[in-house]
Amino acid sequence: MQILVRFAQSHQEFRIPELLSVAQVCGFELEIPSDADATRPFMVLDLPDEHHARLLARRCILIKAVSEFWATGATAEELHVAVKANEAAWRPYEHVSFKFLVGAYNQTISSAEQRARMESLRYMDFDGKIDLKHPELVMEWWEEYDDAGELSGLPRGEGKGLLRQIYFSRAIEDGSARTLVHKFDVKKRAYFGNTSMEAEISLLMANQTLASPGKLMYDPFVGTGSMLYTAAHFGAIVFGSDIDGRQIRGRGTEKKETPGVESAARQYGLAGRLLGCATFDVTRNPWRRGGLFDAIVTDPPYGVRAGAKRLGRKDLTKQRTSPVRLSDGILSHVKPDYIPPTRPYELADLARDLVRFARWALRPGGRLVFFLPTVTDEYAAVDIPTLEGMELVANSCQDFGSWGRRLITMRKVAQDDGERPEFPLEGLPYGGGGNGDEEHVPAHKGFRDKYFAGFKREEKEQLAASSST
Amino acid sequence: MVRLLTHNLLACHARNCTSNNFPLELRDVSVALREADYSEDFLRGFIPRLEWPALVQAAKQLGEDSLPEEPLDPATATEEQLKALHHVLLEVHIEEGSMVCPGCQHVYPISNGIPNMLLAEHELARS
Repeated sequence: MQILVRFAQSHQEFRIPELLSVAQVCGFELEIPSDADATRPFMVLDLPDEHHARLLARRCILIKAVSEFWATGATAEELHVAVKANEAAWRPYEHVSFKFLVGAYNQTISSAEQRARMESLRYMDFDGKIDLKHPELVMEWWEEYDDAGELSGLPRGEGKGLLRQIYFSRAIEDGSARTLVHKFDVKKRAYFGNTSMEAEISLLMANQTLASPGKLMYDPFVGTGSMLYTAAHFGAIVFGSDIDGRQIRGRGTEKKETPGVESAARQYGLAGRLLGCATFDVTRNPWRRGGLFDAIVTDPPYGVRAGAKRLGRKDLTKQRTSPVRLSDGILSHVKPDYIPPTRPYELADLARDLVRFARWALRPGGRLVFFLPTVTDEYAAVDIPTLEGMELVANSCQDFGSWGRRLITMRKVAQDDGERPEFPLEGLPYGGGGNGDEEHVPAHKGFRDKYFAGFKREEKEQLAASSST
Repeated sequence: MVRLLTHNLLACHARNCTSNNFPLELRDVSVALREADYSEDFLRGFIPRLEWPALVQAAKQLGEDSLPEEPLDPATATEEQLKALHHVLLEVHIEEGSMVCPGCQHVYPISNGIPNMLLAEHELARS
């Protein structure tokens, strides 16, 4: 059955990866047509039956609605030719109650024009009664226009964009997963921080992990727990760690006070799937063995607001090799308020180490899903860390102009866990580059410095522009 | 909430502490029982990843003696056995106390259910 998917108007690069992941979670094969264009709001898919379309609509965050594809055309004339040619699809519905839905992307269609569109289908000669409340059949007429506002500076839907395509279909189901975006709204959460990931993206990430009941997922930079709640919502058992336990606990440090991450999990009714949280540095982690997790999902602190840290002194020559006894006779590190020294964790090192950690800690077939910020002008595909045993599944960019962040999905194809990886402070190659001995330095190295330098440059340009007028 | 499943997966990882570092000894612990979502698939899939004797030992210390000495077979375990395993692994929460390395005696304190597994400065590798 040909299914017309109507997408939400956001996160274009995430559309196809999400469709594929959700199909896999639901246990069926999905082939994306080779001419599919994910930048367009409509896509026609070949699915075994209507049920599979419903499965996608109930789990894909980016699906607005699914319908049975009946016809398409670049103009109204073309469309009508196609509708007539596909009579076999719609003739069976000629006697049922129905209504029309006429809509458009990047354009507003007046109610008079909408009626004209419906009238133009009079030749279908349906004799069922029109029922606006509970029709047995909803026919959808969608027109896609160029975004004229983009060029003219007008708001979306105003101005005269050119008609690109018209679709005619039978409604099956509205996407219901989008309501989760409200449910997991950060502002309504019992506990969150200023770097908590927004709901829509954390839901997309959960779909990329293939979260489902019986799976175990881990976030090694858990922060305030954004990734845990959405993965747990889809049935997974979740665990988080962070080098900074204050992020997990929240403000409460009193005895018997529920940690922040746990209170948010309770708010969502997911405490029964929160395996737990712990304070540690993933580069010095206490996991007894590898091959534990079905997915590792994380938004590492890449330093736009707060940089990543790892254990160790910045100046290694000053790092202590034996415990220190304080004047009161107690060893400093056994005091309850002892905090070991930390040093900045360079993003390129972190990304490389995360992939190496995942190669060991994932179960075979498990997924690593993480965000990697990149400088738009300097990014190259070889920047994505590569490692034997790990395969790139998807790479979707969320574009913020001069920089962007890429949601990377990798799969552990290795069947073994290999040696427990060490994460030395210096000296490991970055990998990537693909072919040869020359070491490739990824463009996101020094991202934080570039980010702030970029701001300064823009400010300077603005100053120069304003002083010259 | 350090559940016994988590306890079964954590080992001491201080520099040079590579043997006799598991299981961590439970010391001065206070325990709470809380229901967890039951998943048969999860349990059957996870049995091969457990250190069974360590689990039985920790469970006994906390007054849970429903587990057999021999590891369950994921293929043949009965629902009753899995329910007992579920309870021990996921419903027994350590809220306060500490986990102590049997080898190097590093004390990992647990407070409000969150274990502090950070190493001290002198326990870090120097590279």
